[in-house]
Amino acid sequence: MNLPRLPIKIIILLLTGCLLLVSCSSDGGRQKKKTVVLQGQSSDDVDFGGSWELDYSQSDNIQTKLDSMVRELRRHADRTGGNQGAIMVGGAAGTNSAPSIIGLARMSDLITRSPLLKIQQSEHKIKVKREENFALTCEFYAGQYKTVETPLGTEICGWNGHQLVFKILLPEGLSIQHVMTLASFGGKLNVATTVVSDQVSYPFTLNRVYNRFVPGGSGFSCKMTLTKGRVCSTQSASTPATTPEPAPEPAPQ
Amino acid sequence: MMRLSRWLIFVCLCTLGVTLRAGFAQASVSGVPLKIDRQSSAEMVLDVGVVIFDPGIPKDASTHSKLGIFPEIRKSEAKFMPVILRQVLLKSAAWGVVRVLPETLNSSELLVTGRILHSDGLRLALQIRVHDATGRLWLDKVYVDETSPGDYPVAAGDDPYQDLYHQIANEMLAMKQRLGSKELRNIRQVGLIRYAASLSPEVFAGYLSQTAGGTYILARLPAADDPMMERVSKIRNQEYLFIDTVDEQYAALYEEMAPTYNMWRQFGREQALYRESYEDRAANRERRGKRGTFAAMEQTYDAYKWSKIHEQDLDELALGFNNEVAPTVMEVSGKVFRLNGTLDTQYTEWRDILQQIFVLETGLTPDA
Repeated sequence: MNLPRLPIKIIILLLTGCLLLVSCSSDGGRQKKKTVVLQGQSSDDVDFGGSWELDYSQSDNIQTKLDSMVRELRRHADRTGGNQGAIMVGGAAGTNSAPSIIGLARMSDLITRSPLLKIQQSEHKIKVKREENFALTCEFYAGQYKTVETPLGTEICGWNGHQLVFKILLPEGLSIQHVMTLASFGGKLNVATTVVSDQVSYPFTLNRVYNRFVPGGSGFSCKMTLTKGRVCSTQSASTPATTPEPAPEPAPQ
Repeated sequence: MMRLSRWLIFVCLCTLGVTLRAGFAQASVSGVPLKIDRQSSAEMVLDVGVVIFDPGIPKDASTHSKLGIFPEIRKSEAKFMPVILRQVLLKSAAWGVVRVLPETLNSSELLVTGRILHSDGLRLALQIRVHDATGRLWLDKVYVDETSPGDYPVAAGDDPYQDLYHQIANEMLAMKQRLGSKELRNIRQVGLIRYAASLSPEVFAGYLSQTAGGTYILARLPAADDPMMERVSKIRNQEYLFIDTVDEQYAALYEEMAPTYNMWRQFGREQALYRESYEDRAANRERRGKRGTFAAMEQTYDAYKWSKIHEQDLDELALGFNNEVAPTVMEVSGKVFRLNGTLDTQYTEWRDILQQIFVLETGLTPDA
């Protein structure tokens, strides 16, 4: 997939903006938390199934998060007796270099871009279909974390009692973790995506908040077939997979 | 090279995991012509029962995705493959009636059971066991076959693993040819007496003895014009009529399922080959940027993303297969179940009648 790359001038401007923000703001670390608190007790109580759309207003702003990270790195450099050189504007890739930090932020944005999620959940499986990306799938058996290894990466997933965790370990020191948490009333879903690179001291986390929605009735139902592809009929589906049941209230903590 | 090494690993796993553990021989097959039996006279033929295969689905559902097993497809294959073997056995002209059985019928003159060890569009591994009515083991082997690009698309009435079925049929024929007409007649007689003993053990059990190794031996034979044996033969024919009806259902399922199933296997093969070559390409491609840069991370992520998308395409295909074939399988299974029910009822009635005749003719009580 060819994604537009940011020109180097914009990258430099972004980073310069970040550094200016760090120097001008005294309490920049205290950002107003927009993420909804989500909680649940056990996988039996929590139903992720249904359709979800991204709520931009409640989701993290990547620029803000990037600023926050740069400030953190700056503080770290100050604490350890470093200097501004800890973040090299426009420098070559390397530990905590500008290309590495901005690259990490752009990767987080790229990975979490899906505006729509469709989640299918059964007793032992969950499948999170993400628009414009591959689906995250997980199987639950006896509360164990499941690991799937392929030549291109390793997946670990499971239910920690409160959240669904998907971890993907990729070559070249890159790893991605998605933590999905359902709001107590079942109408909101937070997906916290953390991208880690061995070239940046701090992980980069982006929270994306999704609202549950019921897709409008199309007046027809479709199903996948092998010989004829997608076959649609005007018969109304008895219980369409896309129409979620009202989310049950998770048991109180 | 990568593909070759994976295939070697697969064969090694089959050999070590199956052969050593269970003591099975293994045959990899390719380019096997079916041997036609042009010599057997009518008295040299045996009827064959091919039992629906064991789908080989591990009970631990957590292992299915790792093993690449789609349970619904496997269950359909377990009904589909015996029908192909039946067709090949009939084509070899070496056997009498060849029936697909919903369950084991031990009195069958020759009984074929199978277990699916691996099945996808690329490779098929079947464990096949054949034994006759006397309990003699004819075959106990793992057969492995791999498809080539020329096997797809599958022509009507053909199968990409035809060689594997030919190999099984040829080995069954070779075994038969090693036995003389006397042996074959003995198998038929033991089969009939075992069937009779299953209906009326108190009368017919004495005709048979069993060795320590489990082989059945005829101790004596009923008279050629024994009226009880005539009745047993009639009941058995009646049972065969029912089984033939079941068999027709499986044949209908085969006809119904074949186009979709062949397409599934073709897509599955393409997906598997693409995935393997993609992984090779992805692992060996030139780096787009220095480690840690967006370009390098994007390249790493994309390689993984596309391999996942292809893997998930196969899941979608499996869903399409299930949507299309599962209702037919369910329908056939329902019919077979009803037929079995009818068969059981008829069996009970026949057994009651046999008991009554037995009492009338011998003057003995049924418990004697």
